[in-house]
Amino acid sequence: MADTYRIEPDMNFIQELGKMGGQDLKKCFQCATCSVACPISPDTKPFPRKEMIAASWGLKDKLLADPDIWLCHNCGDCSTLCPRGAKPGDALAAIRSLAVMDYATPKALAKAVREPKMLPILFAIPAAIFLVVGLVLKLFGVHWLNFGIAEDFVWQAQYINNYLVDIIMLPTAGFAAAVFALGLKRFLADIHQNALAEGRTDKEKIDPFGFLKALGRILPTVLKHEKFNDCSENRERSTSHMMVLFGFIGLFIVTNCFFLAEWVFHIEGPYSQINPVKWLANAGGVALIIGSLLLIKNRLAKKDQASGYWDWYLVGLVLALGLTGLLTEMSRLGGFAGLSVFIYILHLMCIWCLFAYTPFSKLAHLVYRTTAMAYNEYIERT
Amino acid sequence: MDKKYGVYICTGCGIGESLEIEALSQAAQEEGFPVKTHPFLCGSDGVALLKGEIDSGINTLVIAACSRRVNFDTFRFPGCIVDRVNLREGVVWSHPRSAFPALTEEEKADPEKFDRVQMMAEDYLKMGMARVKKVTLPEPYKLDNFTRKILVIGGGITGMSAALDAAAAGYQVTIVEKEPQLGGHANDWRKQLPLKYPYETLIPPIVEQKIAAVTDHPLITVRTETVVARIAGEPGNFIVTFKKPGEKIEFDVPFPLPDEMKVDEKGKELDAEQLHAKFLEYNQGKQDILTLDPNGEPFGAVILAAGWRPDEPDKEALSHLGYGEIPDVITNAQFEQIAKRGQIVRPSDGKSAKSVVFIQSPGKGKDADFDYAGAVTSLVALKQAKYVREDYPQDGKAFVFYQHMRTPGLSEGFYKSIQQDPGIFLTKGEVVQVSKNGQGLTVTAENTLLGEKVTLSADMVVLAAGMVPATKDDPVVNLAYRQGPGFRDNAIFNEYADSNYICFPYETQRTGIYAAGAIRRALTVEESMEDAAGAALKAIQCLESVNRGVSVHPRSGDMTFPDFFFQRCTQCKRCTEECPFGALDDDAKGTPKPNPARCRRCGTCMGACPERIIGFADYNIDSIGSMVKAIGVPSEDDYSEPPLRILGLVCENDAYPALDMAGINGLSYSADVRIIPVRCLGSVNVIWIKDALSQGMDGVFLLGCRYGDDYQCHFIKGSELADIRMKKIGDALASLALENERVAQFEVAIDDYDKLPKIINEFVESIEAMGPNPFKGF
Repeated sequence: MADTYRIEPDMNFIQELGKMGGQDLKKCFQCATCSVACPISPDTKPFPRKEMIAASWGLKDKLLADPDIWLCHNCGDCSTLCPRGAKPGDALAAIRSLAVMDYATPKALAKAVREPKMLPILFAIPAAIFLVVGLVLKLFGVHWLNFGIAEDFVWQAQYINNYLVDIIMLPTAGFAAAVFALGLKRFLADIHQNALAEGRTDKEKIDPFGFLKALGRILPTVLKHEKFNDCSENRERSTSHMMVLFGFIGLFIVTNCFFLAEWVFHIEGPYSQINPVKWLANAGGVALIIGSLLLIKNRLAKKDQASGYWDWYLVGLVLALGLTGLLTEMSRLGGFAGLSVFIYILHLMCIWCLFAYTPFSKLAHLVYRTTAMAYNEYIERT
Repeated sequence: MDKKYGVYICTGCGIGESLEIEALSQAAQEEGFPVKTHPFLCGSDGVALLKGEIDSGINTLVIAACSRRVNFDTFRFPGCIVDRVNLREGVVWSHPRSAFPALTEEEKADPEKFDRVQMMAEDYLKMGMARVKKVTLPEPYKLDNFTRKILVIGGGITGMSAALDAAAAGYQVTIVEKEPQLGGHANDWRKQLPLKYPYETLIPPIVEQKIAAVTDHPLITVRTETVVARIAGEPGNFIVTFKKPGEKIEFDVPFPLPDEMKVDEKGKELDAEQLHAKFLEYNQGKQDILTLDPNGEPFGAVILAAGWRPDEPDKEALSHLGYGEIPDVITNAQFEQIAKRGQIVRPSDGKSAKSVVFIQSPGKGKDADFDYAGAVTSLVALKQAKYVREDYPQDGKAFVFYQHMRTPGLSEGFYKSIQQDPGIFLTKGEVVQVSKNGQGLTVTAENTLLGEKVTLSADMVVLAAGMVPATKDDPVVNLAYRQGPGFRDNAIFNEYADSNYICFPYETQRTGIYAAGAIRRALTVEESMEDAAGAALKAIQCLESVNRGVSVHPRSGDMTFPDFFFQRCTQCKRCTEECPFGALDDDAKGTPKPNPARCRRCGTCMGACPERIIGFADYNIDSIGSMVKAIGVPSEDDYSEPPLRILGLVCENDAYPALDMAGINGLSYSADVRIIPVRCLGSVNVIWIKDALSQGMDGVFLLGCRYGDDYQCHFIKGSELADIRMKKIGDALASLALENERVAQFEVAIDDYDKLPKIINEFVESIEAMGPNPFKGF
């Protein structure tokens, strides 16, 4: 028997959920059609029925520590079949968005990321950092930032040196990883405590090795988008989402290869178009663009599903990343030096934003969903 | 009336193909009835034939065609006696030749062979002919004094609405209200549930508008601070005595003697005159029911809208909820008083109550709501939850724990709007404990939608207590009836004033008195107003039936009424006591005084009378007895293996239509049964059963409505009374050396038609197993 749960409704939380697309969740009358309709909900204590009432009651603590909200892939089957129009799919998306915010530090940044007005400032930050770091280095005679027009334009690194990029990007990635680490520590502790309280597991402590093994077991599911493919309402999204995911994985490999080439082997770019790594880079960029365009098209077509700034920010950023990356390359090959450098600057800003704001943005689902899936695998949730 | 007979056999609808019409006609002719056949009797040709016959002087028609339940108007000929012999549903459709083959030419020559279906048809025809010989055309019972004025008891929302509705139809209405002002409980509410689409927001109580409308209406008289001392007489001519509440007057209604006073010291039953003396002593200072108040006011019909009082739940049974011990655990009625006074505050210390838990069910492992609750208590909890939010929009919280959240019809709109409030929280669940926790309360619930066990802090707890009908505490109507001043069998209805939950809303167990509003069921204002309209229309129907001397529902339009042959009455009082409607008032000697306008013509008195002195013009001991005697009972003198004969006395309300439906659906049952429809199983006199068995019939079954908790009897107790009488018939059977099991009673609902063949056939098989009646052939 589970412990007694002490109810302390947070009315503010209900209103916040409403702003994030969960404005209809109080229409739920607990018929559980959603849980029956959901193709990926587990057999015992299935979601999203229980999440719907917890949300109507403003039980923030319970919801944020509920790994099930991350099992949902927002395919929308539940919302389509809901007899009351309570849109459980949107409600869960809203809960996830508030969970991301709750586990992220600093809170001010988390708030800024979900505020459209703050977008120009957020994007100005990387520009400012590059300028300041570049100028400070110049004072010390390190000219990694050059303003003069080179006589023979080879590539944009002549203006913004790759070392400058790396010494800025690496700490940024480190910052994101640290924010995630802090968030994940709390997240795992919360979901484990919640599972213990609800009697879902009898494992007193999480065994790290067992947990990693569980993570290993679910990775193929994630990569193959097996859960996505179970959806009926929104199935086409699986392909586009997969393109974006694999685009990112490809580009991550590419970045690491070029990082090694630069720092270890001191091989200077630009690299030849027949280099296989370059192939992967180009393919990744194209995948990002096509994937994100399809995601946008899908979202625009789905009038009954809530799409807010939270969602548009991420797909927009992905599209911008792909476009600026490929356009930089194309303009370079076309010999348009000025244009190429300008687009490259935009591209760098996008990358920096991607790194820095991931723990605060919708992209954080990459980490939380994977963790939650691994956790449920670990406690053998059925 | 000199009867001139005619038999008309329709050969349409498969009758002609299935039966030998020649032989059938001959059976009628043998009885001296002229016979005509027609292929389509209900068509214009057929009806023209019948009309021609009537013009030529025929006034007693036996129409052998379809069930009497169809083509009722086609075969209705005013001034003529008409009997409908049910050849179609009762014989050919329910006994198709595929299952009951006709005799071949060779078989016809064999005297040992017989055709069961043809026998059945001939019996039914003979029974119809026997019946029309014994019945007469009814003459209506007309009151000497008749008034159309309607009395409304209770000046709340329901009473006022009923008065307005009746007055709008042109009837004079008097409202009596015991309080000094009209309005009832609605005066004490802060707000009221919505009455109009989209049913989303609470509205100010409409009671003031109602009071103004009633006060202004020229046809409505209002008497406040007045109650009914007694209602004597019968519908169309009730004589009503009013008084001030609490006053004692000589026309206060007398109460019947309790059972323990009906016997002497030795436990022997007192005779009629001793009983009357004791009755007068018991009701000293009060006039007998048969003494009419010379100053009484006449009314034609009564609408009972005496309403309700808030239930005060049993404190001991609810100690787990802290009720009675913790001052901040209150009922919904008490909460409404607080809300009416001003902001929602705690009774204990007058501080704001910002977190309020509404409990809809007492729990303890059961999912039942509080006593006398209903959809209205669900809706009231939602309404009162909204009060909390109105008073504390920033941080007010209202929690509703329910086992049933009933928001019927469009009030679903209200539920939806309440759901949207971020400070109102709803869940199914069982509250197991309410305990004190410092200044506040802790509420613990189990099996909620939120999980197994939850607790929360509250400032106040509100219990959804029900609405107790006024008739639970007091007869209210104070009828000067021998059976007593109130409704006798309200216990079946949880003390609500009702007579049949399912089919007859507004009707009470007393003709001419129609219940509306919370006296009938826990209701909202909107439902009460709808009820009021229904009861007003019922009252009007009653007046417009009584004035023509015809019955009200369920035998609407029936012009017959029970006729008593008083010379042979033994003053046994069974009729007075068993009448489900209290229609009979016996006098000092115990002789029944009929009040035909109170009667609903069920015939329970006829079934009860051991002297068989009660009958109706077209339905009496002799008419049914003659039908029984008309059934041919073949014996071993006729065939070496004679068929069984089994009599079925079938209630015409549900069981007979169900049998017709079985026929319509081609379901067949034994062709050895002979069905006679009766008005109610309560009207079945045991003499018919004795007659049937002593003439050699092998068994008798009664088919009627369900009784008990889920009862469906159209006359409240008919099938139950029949069951008691059938149990007592055992002695009579024993004296004939017959088995008790030869007589059985079955209960069916109207939609049980598919089960009927099995019920009947199993009974026939059990009789077969017992063997034939030894009296056969005597």
